[in-house]
Amino acid sequence: MYPASFEYHRAASVKDALAMLTRFGDDAKLLAGGHSLIPMMKLRLAQPAHLIDIGGIRDLAQIREDGGRIVIGGLATHHQVATSALVKGKLGMLAECAAMIGDVQVRNRGTIAGSLAHSDPAADYPAAILALEAEMLVEGSGGARTIKAEEFFIDLMTTAVQQGQILTHVSIAPIAAGVGGAYLKHRQPASGFATVGVAALVALGPDGQCKRVRVGITGLGPKAFRAKAVEAALTGKAPAAIKDAAALAADGIDALSDIHAAADFRSELARVYTRRALEQAVARAKA
Amino acid sequence: MKIAGETTLSARRERVWALFNSPERLSKLIPGCEKLETLGPDEYAGTIVVGVAAVKGTYDGKLKIEDKRPPEHYRILVDGKGKQGFLKGAGTLDLAERDARTTLVKYAGDVQIGGPLIQVGQRMIDSAAKMMLGQFFAAADAELKAEVSGTVARQGFLINFWRYLVRLIRSAFGRK
Repeated sequence: MYPASFEYHRAASVKDALAMLTRFGDDAKLLAGGHSLIPMMKLRLAQPAHLIDIGGIRDLAQIREDGGRIVIGGLATHHQVATSALVKGKLGMLAECAAMIGDVQVRNRGTIAGSLAHSDPAADYPAAILALEAEMLVEGSGGARTIKAEEFFIDLMTTAVQQGQILTHVSIAPIAAGVGGAYLKHRQPASGFATVGVAALVALGPDGQCKRVRVGITGLGPKAFRAKAVEAALTGKAPAAIKDAAALAADGIDALSDIHAAADFRSELARVYTRRALEQAVARAKA
Repeated sequence: MKIAGETTLSARRERVWALFNSPERLSKLIPGCEKLETLGPDEYAGTIVVGVAAVKGTYDGKLKIEDKRPPEHYRILVDGKGKQGFLKGAGTLDLAERDARTTLVKYAGDVQIGGPLIQVGQRMIDSAAKMMLGQFFAAADAELKAEVSGTVARQGFLINFWRYLVRLIRSAFGRK
């Protein structure tokens, strides 16, 4: 399949890309790794008149430590995140999540900001980003702003990034000692997407109880979300309470249903994977 | 694709019924609706731009209303086509009086969707439909609330007054 014709523009900098976004408005799409946009263009579901390639802005592909936080450039590929010594050392759960995305080709081309801005309901990153309470740095012609992960995902494939803005960096506080994280997914065998994916982060207190709990779930609803009922049910309790807490994972969620997994099955997957992810996070917090 | 659900709107049933039978007002509430014209009694033609993420398409379609039982029920038939796919289906709308100020809206439908859209969009079409329905009902609720608080009613009065003036001037100059 061939895409509809479009004009190709190569942006040399974020400023350059923003200027083009302003100039072309609604007719333009940003091209990063292209692993969601290009297939849609080939099927002619997406027919942007202007494609602004930001792939050449190499500054945006850096992963660095800045003021005690890990700052990941939007163009960092999944492979880069999965294999970065910095991410593996300080944000093990995120590296684990990146390593589970799609297949080798997808991980070599797909980018973290591309995945987050696209916000596919079955994408892996959003779950981890929510559990890690990451901050998204978004730049627009009016300046830059920071958006909390929880306020970033708005609805199906809809994020807080507005027309004319670019998600440039993701900033995350390192996982501290005594805190364990885990990302687990039920993998859709054909696409590699998550039928359901759960990211868990647990901080254990000196008394061995769960002091702080964060759970992000993807694949279950139209957008990834924080399972607050699970978090509340486990906070202040011993890890023995995980089973009961995880049973709340799908509460209040209008679960997706498709030929691969009906809503009931998806909800059950969410409960089971939440339990497993929490157990693994606790085990890692102890280690 | 089967769609079913219910929602509560902040107005009594007659007013909700009036809204759901007014193409001019509906066209402003349906997400992406560019045009909704009356073809004949209970028959309409419309154009809607559906956009979720990068997927964007224009669809032209016809709507037909059947089995009208004011102020509580109608059946709606939809037949639409765009470059990326087609849509054909039927649904029902039922309005129940909850109390003097709120109406329970129940909707159910069965829609066939085909074309390239279904190839990639299958797992997301349900959610996209729910999202658009949610946007529509939120807009409808806001419109009904505004009507109660009088803002729209006042605008309506102004529009009517303006039309009256125009008619007056036209007739004064002997035009129709």
